[in-house]
Amino acid sequence: MGRHMPESTFIVQLDDFHGFVVKQRYPSSLTLNEKVLNLIYYEHQKEKKEEINYCEIEDMRIASYRSALYPGWMVCSVLKQDEDFEILRSNLTGSGRLILALITVDQESFSLEEILEKGSVLKDLSEEQNLAEVFITPSSALLLERMQAEGIEKAAKLSIWLRTQVQNDEIDLREAMAPLMNSGIVKVELVGKTSEMVFLVKDIFGYREPPVDSILKTREAIPSIAEKYEEFLAAFFSPPPPNKGYNPTLRVDDPNSPILEDREKISRILAEKLQYRVLISLREQPLTVADISENTALPESVVRKLLFALEADKVVIRFEEEDLWGLLTNPRIESFLPEYVLPILSKKLSEKEISSDAAQRHLELLMQTWGEAK
Amino acid sequence: MIRGVYVLGEQGNMIYSKEYAKSDSKASMVEFLVNLAHFLKTVDLEEKTEYMNAAIARIFYAQRSTFTFMFVADKADDANQIEDKMSELVESFMRDYANLAQANQALEGFDDKVDEIAVTLVKVAILGFAGVGKTTTLHLLRGETIPLVHDPTIGVSIKKLPDEISNANIVLWDLAGQSRFSILWAKMIANAQVVIIVTDSTLENVLRSKKLVTLVKDEVPDAKVIGIANKQDLPTALTPERVGQILGLPTYELVAIDISYRDRLIQIIRRAILEGKAEAKMP
Repeated sequence: MGRHMPESTFIVQLDDFHGFVVKQRYPSSLTLNEKVLNLIYYEHQKEKKEEINYCEIEDMRIASYRSALYPGWMVCSVLKQDEDFEILRSNLTGSGRLILALITVDQESFSLEEILEKGSVLKDLSEEQNLAEVFITPSSALLLERMQAEGIEKAAKLSIWLRTQVQNDEIDLREAMAPLMNSGIVKVELVGKTSEMVFLVKDIFGYREPPVDSILKTREAIPSIAEKYEEFLAAFFSPPPPNKGYNPTLRVDDPNSPILEDREKISRILAEKLQYRVLISLREQPLTVADISENTALPESVVRKLLFALEADKVVIRFEEEDLWGLLTNPRIESFLPEYVLPILSKKLSEKEISSDAAQRHLELLMQTWGEAK
Repeated sequence: MIRGVYVLGEQGNMIYSKEYAKSDSKASMVEFLVNLAHFLKTVDLEEKTEYMNAAIARIFYAQRSTFTFMFVADKADDANQIEDKMSELVESFMRDYANLAQANQALEGFDDKVDEIAVTLVKVAILGFAGVGKTTTLHLLRGETIPLVHDPTIGVSIKKLPDEISNANIVLWDLAGQSRFSILWAKMIANAQVVIIVTDSTLENVLRSKKLVTLVKDEVPDAKVIGIANKQDLPTALTPERVGQILGLPTYELVAIDISYRDRLIQIIRRAILEGKAEAKMP
């Protein structure tokens, strides 16, 4: 991989009291003024949707990255005269993503120079992360619930419904629905000439799976802790009565159901990019902090902090004597075919709420998504 | 705002004191505090912070071991916030300075610690359309020479207002008025305690500025908002009363290029900071 070192890079935070604060810069000789920072920020606010933005200010060619996850933060790189922004775009996005994720976990131990030299990046979201975005975006979660009830709906009608729900006339349906569209849960298409329809083609389910792969691998590779590991798992998933343990198959309206309160937590863990890195590296088997640090390319101090956070959320456990960390629960979000839309579809069709073209298209989409040829 | 910090020893002797705001009756206040400390010896506060009201002030006190800690603050202050600051002070003192104090030694570094705890940051945002004199007002407040050429602000310009209210560090946010920067306003006024809406006192500008009042009330409902009728030296200027009526805000006259308005404006801001909190808490 071609390692790219921009001419200079700096991290800025817009603090509500102190204004623009340059948190770190590389090289340290780089000087910046308030006007430049203002203009970079302004360009970003203007181009609301983009994570990465390019602008030319005072003879500097600047690429800046920001993320809705870290409001007020920007990672900016000054490009050399012969560098092409479009070629660097994905690399700069990836390193911006990593830098913000890291600096917001641990400002003290963060070293901009180290990150730049390694050329590390954080990749785009994986499929399960895309699904997790749905539950951590309140308007998307709300829309998903509505679509579970409606199955198929005119975009215009859904838009009006959303506005009354959130009591905000300016909310943009497409923006609110972006996580649902990105993860393929809904499809939006024009049926006929005028009516834009929203189709539910996938439903999703978030839960904690027992870490099966990890326990199997442990029995084989680290038998000394296997028994202890199984005890930990049993205590969580099937403790002796009267405790009930974790049972994701209980219905949501059951007071003992772990789903609703836990779903958002699971989603946050999956969507939080650094925690997710640690999580996937532990799915295989228990590891030491040093191993995780190597797998994830994150400093050990950061790994430790992330592990403590995951421990508090009952995702990982620590084997103190062996100094190993393993998964206690494996957060998952899975998608399934929403069979329940079929009766809704036929009812809506017979009541002429939707056209036969729309119903037919919905079935096609379901088949495309779930059919054998998938 | 914390006006004074006092730490008293076993005999009611003053171990440390610092006053941030001038008070006419300092001697009687200290005498009162010493008496209060003696009285407090007879009750058990159980590590809690309590307070009592005295005229416009509110005296917060806590005890730990043989020490009594006191803050003189305003009634308008958020009591929870002051109690948190008290806990922070007590904890720091007991950890790092109690032994020194018992041995009658100098409390090196404690003064800085007290500043760190007692000094608060106050954000004052200056908002208004292009060319009404926001930056000029900022220069006036800072006692700087006023540039003769108009140089529009880009984004926001942030400056400190030095030493006007000794333990409130006032940060002034002078927001660019050009319409292209209007997308930044809502973000930039976040967490402001005081918002000053500057108008040039022409009818057209004042009417437009009503929009700003709405924006501010939506974004920072707890902030104290005041209007400024600038350019009162021009013949077409509406009176401050009229500007205030239109904006629906307490509004004050100003000629930002005239240095004699400086003290008055600072008084207005100081009052807005103190009143702001009191009003925000009223139902």
